[in-house]
Amino acid sequence: MSEENNSGGRFAKNKQISKLLEWYDKNYKKLLIIPIVLLILSIGVIFYKYAATGDFIDKDISLKGGITITIPSKDIDADSLKTYLLSEFPESDISVRTLTKLGEKTGVMISTSDIDSKELLNILKTKYGELDYNVEEMGSSLGKSFFKETFIAILFAFLFIAIVVFFYFRQPIPSLAIVLSAFSNMVVTLAIINLMGVKLSTAGVAAFLMLIGYSVDTNILLSTKVLKRKDGEVIDRIVNGMKTGLTMTLTTVTAIVVAYVFSQSAALSQIMLILIIGLLMDVLNTWVQNAGILRLYLERRTKNG
Amino acid sequence: MGNLKKIFTNLRIIILLAVILLAVIAINPHPFNKGVAIRNVIMNSSANLAGIESPKPTATPMSKEIIISINNKPINNLNDYYSFEAELKPNRTVSVKTNKGTYRLITKYRTETIVLNETINETITKEVDVTEIINGINVNKTINKTEIITVPKTITNVYNDSIDLGIRVYNAPTTNVRKGLDLQGGTRVLLEPEEKISADDMEIVLSNIKQRLNIYGLSDIVVRTISDLSGNQYILIEIAGANEEEVKELVAKQGKFEAKIGNDIVFKGGNDITYICRSADCSGIDPNSYGQSNGQWFCRFRFSISLSPEAAQKQADLTENLDIITEGENDYLNETLDLYLDNQNVDSLNIGSDLKGRAVTDIQISGSGSGATQQEALSESLKNMKKLQTILITGSLPVKLNVVKTDAISPSLGEEFVKNAFFIGFLAILSVSLIVFLRYRKLEITLPMMITLIAEVIIILGVAALIGWNIDIAAIAGIIIVIGSCVDHQIVISDELLKKEHQVFFNWKQRIGNAFFIIMAAYFTTFVAMLPLMRAGAGLLKGFAITTIIGISVGVFITRPAFAAVVEILLKDKL
Repeated sequence: MSEENNSGGRFAKNKQISKLLEWYDKNYKKLLIIPIVLLILSIGVIFYKYAATGDFIDKDISLKGGITITIPSKDIDADSLKTYLLSEFPESDISVRTLTKLGEKTGVMISTSDIDSKELLNILKTKYGELDYNVEEMGSSLGKSFFKETFIAILFAFLFIAIVVFFYFRQPIPSLAIVLSAFSNMVVTLAIINLMGVKLSTAGVAAFLMLIGYSVDTNILLSTKVLKRKDGEVIDRIVNGMKTGLTMTLTTVTAIVVAYVFSQSAALSQIMLILIIGLLMDVLNTWVQNAGILRLYLERRTKNG
Repeated sequence: MGNLKKIFTNLRIIILLAVILLAVIAINPHPFNKGVAIRNVIMNSSANLAGIESPKPTATPMSKEIIISINNKPINNLNDYYSFEAELKPNRTVSVKTNKGTYRLITKYRTETIVLNETINETITKEVDVTEIINGINVNKTINKTEIITVPKTITNVYNDSIDLGIRVYNAPTTNVRKGLDLQGGTRVLLEPEEKISADDMEIVLSNIKQRLNIYGLSDIVVRTISDLSGNQYILIEIAGANEEEVKELVAKQGKFEAKIGNDIVFKGGNDITYICRSADCSGIDPNSYGQSNGQWFCRFRFSISLSPEAAQKQADLTENLDIITEGENDYLNETLDLYLDNQNVDSLNIGSDLKGRAVTDIQISGSGSGATQQEALSESLKNMKKLQTILITGSLPVKLNVVKTDAISPSLGEEFVKNAFFIGFLAILSVSLIVFLRYRKLEITLPMMITLIAEVIIILGVAALIGWNIDIAAIAGIIIVIGSCVDHQIVISDELLKKEHQVFFNWKQRIGNAFFIIMAAYFTTFVAMLPLMRAGAGLLKGFAITTIIGISVGVFITRPAFAAVVEILLKDKL
């Protein structure tokens, strides 16, 4: 991918890629419509979910609570029980943990947010026969105010990002554009996760926070190239930054896809899934949305100044 | 060879290597450690009497005492330990060999001591230094003085079906990195409110418990409600690697604190108290308070608190009409200030005559602790002080809670999680390196990048071990984001340095400057974005934010400069 031979086209050695970039250069205003429409649709999806279920996303046992069945038996192995239950209830949110006292196993504890306790007990009885058991209703592991607190914390995070970016570039619009890009990234990813029917876990919440970090990396790269460098035209600098930015995204996505494929843990899988979607959306948010806004902003500024 | 010499004499690279070395020392890895580590030792148990000590709560995992063999039979894991204990008979001698020494224990039946809501008076004798004037000369001498103190009454149940050496153990740790509740499992305590309470009161109970455990220093906790099908409410607490007695003591106390003169309440825990001193200058053990009774040692703790003006006024009103009595050189009022915790008298304080009728806001609270040795009395006393302070800060629970049962619980993420996480981490680093190699076609970029990635993980774990941070799912998410940014920033550095169009416009130094401009901007932005998350209440956000901040700071100030230096040495003259 070296750029030694520039005869292919204006932006790249490869003719097709160069043509694509020329098209991207000419149509950036029209392209801006895509992320805007996507953001509006996503907000719609989230509001629809909220109106229909009273919650903006399905939550799993760790966030919402559910039922737990405790079986005081020494003979049931937690791992094989979990495999069995997952074969009976595929796609369900099930966790099985072992209880011990002074080194002696005292039982197993099954927790789930989406299976009816009677159904679960029937399945257990068909495998293990009559059992002693205790059914309990379990509350959320995070306090009632958790989502409110997270929401406020993220708002402040966006505010601080805007302030730092403003200090760096001394221009208000690009600061807001970065925050808008990170915001759209989270909202669109949340909507897609919602449509896929994923049940969000505490690990998933962490994954959404991670998107802020990745989004900042690519957007700062773009803003620096566009606002601080003076070599070539704006579009050349965007394309130059894009090569670096896409390499960044490509390496991260590859690593995450590998991790997703080999993960045996539901928690890690969910983190990886959210990151894959988020990073792919970030390509759009950075190189179409933010780049488009920056170009519009610079054009206006030259016209007026 | 010249390059190699340059690399190992470069200051940035030396700093990186030194930090990696420090991190490895902090992590202190012993992957093949066998045996069981001592989590705590029960008071008055066989182990306690034989001189085995409970580790300090702040002790690092690798510094904990490890049992290697009992009666020359190797103890490799928890199962070995418990199956050995199950076969023991009473009144036999067993020799327990640890990495710190060998102890001879006399086996005893399992006992359980229950502290009752009653108190008894005990007479203690203590040694007091006095100065007497004999024939006009000051003579220092030590005399024995007896004193009556109030202690809680206890009963002891003996279970003669099983032996308990009194040691609580877990599989010996292999590193100093502490694993969180979701990775390692922990203790699960089920509590039942004495009477049914409203949902609002339940919220207060939950947040109060969380606060108590946090102030006490147990941070990795999950507290939630749970109810059975007949509608009985319970509270479920899960704590990583905690000592279950401490937890029971702390959460099963309603924490109703009252200070009374006669039958009148002067002040209560919670709103009446505006400040509680927890620093060494105004809280701690009274050095003159050590004493002995029936082979038990006692000592007293004290700490200052500030009362609200209303409470201070109440004290003034109540002391106004009391009489002054003189005992030795000191003048006291004829009533004492009695401190009650959950209706149990924990201490009675003499009130100095100068306080009569005055609205004083700063007063001292005290209490005591006892143990078989002076050292034990001291640590018990300090423990009691910490508990009392915790309860005074958090106020009382709306209802009394009873412990229904305690169990150890396996990790919610499964036993194999850590292994799987390491495996996929390894694959992820390999695949990143492959892409980077395909992009740049230079081993001079790919190898340093791989090494930097691994170095960064080691350094984060080292910092976590050093500050006693629990690695849980949130921290792992933080580590992933740090590694991701690390790759991102190294690609920025490589592109700025290697691209032809950059080489035309800027010299090497300028190109490094350009790369670090982008990196620093991204660093500061991520840094400030993490600050509000760190402040947010729940532990999940805090764990993520702290790990991320540590990681990106290490990256920007230590590993990335070293990476740039290596690339400069290897490639500068080739371009």
